[in-house]
Amino acid sequence: MSGPHDTRNWNTRGEDKAERLAAAAPYLDGKLARRESIADVLYACIRSHDRVIAEGNNQKQADFLSRALADLDPERVYDLHMIQPSVGRPEHLAVFEKGIAKKLDFAFSGTQSHRIGALMMDGTIEVGAIHTYIELYARLFVDLTPRVVLVAAFAADREGNLYTGPSTEDSPALVEAAAFSDGIVIAQANRIVDDVSGLARVDIPGSWVDIVVEADRDFYIEPLFTRDPRAITPVQIFMAMMALKGIYAEHGVTSLNHGIGFNTAAIELLLPTFGERLGLRGKIARNWVLNPHPTLIPAIESGWVESVHCFGTELGMEHYVAARPDVFFTGPDGSLRSNRAFCQLAGQYAADMFIGATLQIDPDGNSSTVTESRVSGFGGAPNLGSDARGRRHATPAWANLAAPGDRLGRGRKLVVQMVETFQAGLKPTFVDQLDAVKVAEKANLEVAPVMVYGDDTTHLLTEEGLAYLYKAESLAERRAMIAAVAGVTPLGLAADPATSARLRAEGKIRLPEDLGVSRTEATRSQLAASSIADLVDWSGGLYEPPARFKSW
Amino acid sequence: MNTAELLERESFVELPARARVERLLDAGTRRELVGPFERLSSPWLAKQDIVTQADDGVIIARGTIDGTAVVVAAIEPAFQGGSMGEVGGAKIAGALELAADDAAAGSPVVPVLLLETGGVRLQEANCGLAAIAEIHAAIVALREFVPVVGVITGPVGCFGGMSIAAGLCSHLIVTREARLGLNGPQVIEQEAGIEEFDARDRPMIWSLLGGEQRTATGLVDARVDDDLTAIRAQIAAAVTQEPGPLHRTADIATWEAMLDHIDPAERAEAGDVRAAFARYFGGCHD
Repeated sequence: MSGPHDTRNWNTRGEDKAERLAAAAPYLDGKLARRESIADVLYACIRSHDRVIAEGNNQKQADFLSRALADLDPERVYDLHMIQPSVGRPEHLAVFEKGIAKKLDFAFSGTQSHRIGALMMDGTIEVGAIHTYIELYARLFVDLTPRVVLVAAFAADREGNLYTGPSTEDSPALVEAAAFSDGIVIAQANRIVDDVSGLARVDIPGSWVDIVVEADRDFYIEPLFTRDPRAITPVQIFMAMMALKGIYAEHGVTSLNHGIGFNTAAIELLLPTFGERLGLRGKIARNWVLNPHPTLIPAIESGWVESVHCFGTELGMEHYVAARPDVFFTGPDGSLRSNRAFCQLAGQYAADMFIGATLQIDPDGNSSTVTESRVSGFGGAPNLGSDARGRRHATPAWANLAAPGDRLGRGRKLVVQMVETFQAGLKPTFVDQLDAVKVAEKANLEVAPVMVYGDDTTHLLTEEGLAYLYKAESLAERRAMIAAVAGVTPLGLAADPATSARLRAEGKIRLPEDLGVSRTEATRSQLAASSIADLVDWSGGLYEPPARFKSW
Repeated sequence: MNTAELLERESFVELPARARVERLLDAGTRRELVGPFERLSSPWLAKQDIVTQADDGVIIARGTIDGTAVVVAAIEPAFQGGSMGEVGGAKIAGALELAADDAAAGSPVVPVLLLETGGVRLQEANCGLAAIAEIHAAIVALREFVPVVGVITGPVGCFGGMSIAAGLCSHLIVTREARLGLNGPQVIEQEAGIEEFDARDRPMIWSLLGGEQRTATGLVDARVDDDLTAIRAQIAAAVTQEPGPLHRTADIATWEAMLDHIDPAERAEAGDVRAAFARYFGGCHD
């Protein structure tokens, strides 16, 4: 049967894909590419101006393929549009410096944040947008559909089945976008096995994958979430005690995500000690959306944690996680299955609270980690740190934030910013205007890179006090609440003492003494583990920290 | 160790220096000498716009440990990296000299030195070095009469001139996280280059300077976990020990024989060092 438009070719992408794979065929044995021919394979599969995903995740990096991409001749392949959840490797930026790529859409830049900032300012990189992870995946299925996807696996077989195991991370979302739009999927693997019986499990089916290649060395993983308890300060412990009393216990927060910093590591390490003394075990912090933080080990071992779903893995935690399958999501082979897309969804819709830190907060409560020299992106924070307006199920903590007398019963996610009033080098955290505004102007970004918007922030915690911003009855009152806990920063010094006293009397802000938290009790002796070695002891020797964290 | 034991274990390292002294001494026996209310702070730091501390980061206290009379000198690592300035150094040297007088007068007081220190305070230069030299001399004199007990527990380690003081102690106790060395890693890297010594290579640093290695080579006498109860028990045992016939630092002939056979042009690994010590000083302790 023919339709009214039967003269049009409806399969241009499929034919294009077939052409490209035919060009790559001389360098392939079935789906298996010869490592030394990787450049020829990429020349066959990638055309100038293509949208290409090079899997740079928060932790896992398809670095063999990204190095090969950076080695291509910019006379032959140029002006690619790169799409990367994370820009974490030097070669990710080399492709722009060489002209192989021109445009970039990304979510996080971590270790490359200074260099990427400079390349944005001088026009070497044209940035589409700085996304949150789940937003970037979503666009892969709408207006950023990739032509070629380069991903990494622990192992692959000759049919293209991939074992991504504990480091599955973003791979399924990235692969799906190409596999079902006639794009090309190329996977590097630490090792190739003959058939599926050699794989611990299949995380991505072979029919979604076009080409596999054995990498010259194991893919790189960044141990991004290891926080050495040695570096936790008494001020952070003090704030953690305030958080546990004034937020976790106050609202009965049972499901949550923790940010990456030492503030939240302190909270994790106070659960079995301070939290236990408050009688909170079983009442708070049961279900986690979190990478396998080593600092969570003591809470897990003391029976605080029911479940942890992970975005990615953490180096050294593999054996510990595998030995705690009741807590972590693990496969039939016993190892962790991480999945950033689902974990971000869980954090958006099913977690009661996000708590994290930032570098700058403006008088309206907007916050950002972008400063003039550093464009880090925010990864998942804008998603986790915002109210899910599509949410329709109630939990006690969520319902607790409903406006008084709201007959719709509409609650709110708790979004907590936990900051010291001054950053390193005595830079005030509270500023008149976020550096993000200037950065947006200089780098031609349409949207200022704000991490968490002020109207999404429900709680602001500093060493001076805790502001329950969701209780503000006007924008002016919210500003006054922010200023009231801003300490001796210029913003804090401008606060009106009479207003602050009224806010305190109304319970809109609470000082440490109102919460019954004493500065002299905030000592490092409160931590369940005070060193990486203690964490190893808590894990019964199952946690194997990377060498750079060992001090014995 | 089960969960309850892990929660009950109290870290010694996490205690501030004054609390360490308090917890080591028998309850109610602590009497602090030249305490913070004497306001003996560094005259040199203020001139360099550095905030001083009323005890100059050194706590001296008399008291008893399981009934044995002791004088504890504790260096506070949180103040200026535990560095030895003129005042803090003089407090330790003075305490040791008083203990020597007591020993000579027949009422022995055992010194216990908590050595969390990067060595001399650079801002006070020769004044600090002079005090360290007095400390060395006092330890050598004292150890003829009583055991001089040194303890290194924390991440600061014990370096510079104070590492010599640690070496001179008749009994030295460390944790595995402790480090003992004449020069700190950054100093070695700065002077000898990153090829010789990479100050960020933590496994290499601890393999050479760490508590396990120093125990294995016999330079320390006991290795304990960072556990207040265990550390106190170890110190309590040490303060009643009779001094040995020949202190290791007095065994010069053996050291010379050993050094004759070491080629400093060869970069020594941890295993080479252990083997060399085993050859000249007998078997490994650990």
